[in-house]
Amino acid sequence: LLLKESRELEKIPVASKGSPLHGPQVRLVEQAHRLFAETKEHIFESKSAEEHAKLLRVQHQLEVSTKQAIFVGSSVSDTIKTCIAMGNERAAVKVKSEFKVPDKRWYWLKSCALATVGNWDALETF
Amino acid sequence: MAQIPNLDNSPLNLAALREQSQKDLLNIVKSIRGKKCLVIDPKLAGTLSLILQTSVLKEYGVELRILSADPLLTECPKIIYLVRSQPNFMKFVASQIKSDESKGLQREYFLYFVPRRTVCCEKILEEEKVHQKLTLGEYPLYLVPLDEDVLSFDLEYCLQECLVEGDTSSIWHIAKAIHKLEFAFGVIPNVRAKGVASTKAAELLNHMQLEDPVSMDDMGIPEIDTLILLDREVDMVTPMCSQLTYEGLVDEMLQIHNGSVEVDASIMGGQQDGKKVKVPLNSSDKLYKEIRDLNFDVVGKVLRQKATSIQQDYAEVKSTNTQSVSELKDFVKRLHSLPEIARHINLAQHLQSFVAKPSFHARVEIEQLILDVQNYETCFEYIEEIIQKQEPIETVLRLLVLFSLTNAGLQKKSFDYLRREILHSYGFEYMPLLHNLEKAGLVKKQEARSNWVGITRALQLIVDVNDMENPSDISYIFAGYAPLSIRLVQHAVRSGWRSIEELLKLLPGPHLDLKRGVSTMNSSLEVLPGSMAQQQSAERADRRSLVLVVFIGGVTSAEIAALRFLSAQEGMGYDFLIATTKVITGNTLLQPIIASSKEGMM
Repeated sequence: LLLKESRELEKIPVASKGSPLHGPQVRLVEQAHRLFAETKEHIFESKSAEEHAKLLRVQHQLEVSTKQAIFVGSSVSDTIKTCIAMGNERAAVKVKSEFKVPDKRWYWLKSCALATVGNWDALETF
Repeated sequence: MAQIPNLDNSPLNLAALREQSQKDLLNIVKSIRGKKCLVIDPKLAGTLSLILQTSVLKEYGVELRILSADPLLTECPKIIYLVRSQPNFMKFVASQIKSDESKGLQREYFLYFVPRRTVCCEKILEEEKVHQKLTLGEYPLYLVPLDEDVLSFDLEYCLQECLVEGDTSSIWHIAKAIHKLEFAFGVIPNVRAKGVASTKAAELLNHMQLEDPVSMDDMGIPEIDTLILLDREVDMVTPMCSQLTYEGLVDEMLQIHNGSVEVDASIMGGQQDGKKVKVPLNSSDKLYKEIRDLNFDVVGKVLRQKATSIQQDYAEVKSTNTQSVSELKDFVKRLHSLPEIARHINLAQHLQSFVAKPSFHARVEIEQLILDVQNYETCFEYIEEIIQKQEPIETVLRLLVLFSLTNAGLQKKSFDYLRREILHSYGFEYMPLLHNLEKAGLVKKQEARSNWVGITRALQLIVDVNDMENPSDISYIFAGYAPLSIRLVQHAVRSGWRSIEELLKLLPGPHLDLKRGVSTMNSSLEVLPGSMAQQQSAERADRRSLVLVVFIGGVTSAEIAALRFLSAQEGMGYDFLIATTKVITGNTLLQPIIASSKEGMM
């Protein structure tokens, strides 16, 4: 019975995550987070869903402030890259600290993003 | 069209098998009079090109179309659908029929399932209410020869179905295919299986023999002596390693489909840009047969030798005028191989551009480290780095799976860390994928001590190669690693499972050693210890025996190369015939799992 229950738990987020509508998507992911938290074996899944919801909110805010619909649906790394490429370093640092991005990845992403937009001066002073 | 391989040198009469398939198809076409349109599903179209040329069909007044979701545009009053029994294809068929109806077109529809009808598909047709309008039939295409020693069941999703979805219908398909082979070539006396799917297939095979026996009286000695069934799951390590043979590299970098590879015309020395050309790759090409299984490092040298020797001949012909006609004839004959040489030089050059990259070397080195189970930290950091650099997800997963397999899982801390890094770098949509990989046991948390080191020692998987050009062991294939799967086959043909029983228990799935034969006539089978097999092989020392090796879940070109190498060894009295659900690479093995995990979320 427990097994069956966990099966059902798995299905819900699987079915919901790809939902294209933005608002309900956050809610569904949060629901998934709660459902995963009910069992002990799914701590990792629960945390990930929580982070996913957080990411969606941050991305939504970014889209509102930049007025460009390019954030939702991309990964944490891509979000940071886009921020830096747009010259919005502060937002990038905020994402970094919120999602506890390791330094190694952070520097890689930063140099990558600066190089793609050809911001060589910033790359040198970094 | 050279894409249809020449089967004359095959150890078994595969040409007859292919002719039968041809005949079956033509009979279907002939049975329906008048002008007709044959609609084939896209996957099957590639497969059929290995069986017959499309021009033959046109002689029978057939128009060819590829099945898609769009309405069918043709003038023919009769439509024949020839499709694999997959639910989505049924929906396409239904929508095409409905669109015809809405236009008021009156047509006759025939639907042939390949290879057999399934309840699921018929249900869909009923639900769509087109069941009544269709005349249903079957086209029993179970096995397709890919080359003179390779057969394909053409079951692309077999592995994923068995491992992730728990759907085992493909096992029935495999057993049926082998049973059909037995009708043509006699009952196979020795059966050895390892893995859940394989043992199930072996049992099903016996069951079929009981229900629908192949009579043993009118057959002589069975042509196949031993059947070895192996689950891909038993050895997931090998496909995760980068293949280093010529054919393996072509498949890894450019992807071989149905025995041919598609590349830009500019690579092959053509003028037009952006145009694709198809290069057939099979043993009908003598040069290819010679070099396909060599380590790529050696291929360049062989090609150079061939080219220079022709050049020398040419110089000779020019310098000495006193040539007899027969000498000239010889020379011209050799010139005929020139296009082949040019073709492979072009291809090899193109591959070189991938192989020469430092990143390729770094990856192969890391793979070796992982196989040796050394430097957990170094490997871990390398994988961390490629995730953070957002390299293709397949590349990451291959190393991650390899890493997890040899260490019997990852330590909890690094497992969670890497999973988090993947989700962050590639997006949270990859959650179900990670879940599926865990379910399939490919990437998991460490729970027990790894027995990989024990396995490598016992089977001598890690061997130093001294001489790349004249290797003495199959380990040359991966520059120092002998594929686990092939080592198992080696033991199985030599002495059966018995000698390595302890070891088999370390690998996933049960094993089975069956003896079926003339003495027990039609009645049930007997489970006998493998020692019988030893006697048998001694008795038949005078003739080369044929071993059919079936890989359930796919096989890599490198492993095929290893088997060919084995049978070419002196003192090895066996020929190998390989049957597989699909020829795979690490990437094509993982891709369906990745795709279906994503689909599940849509």
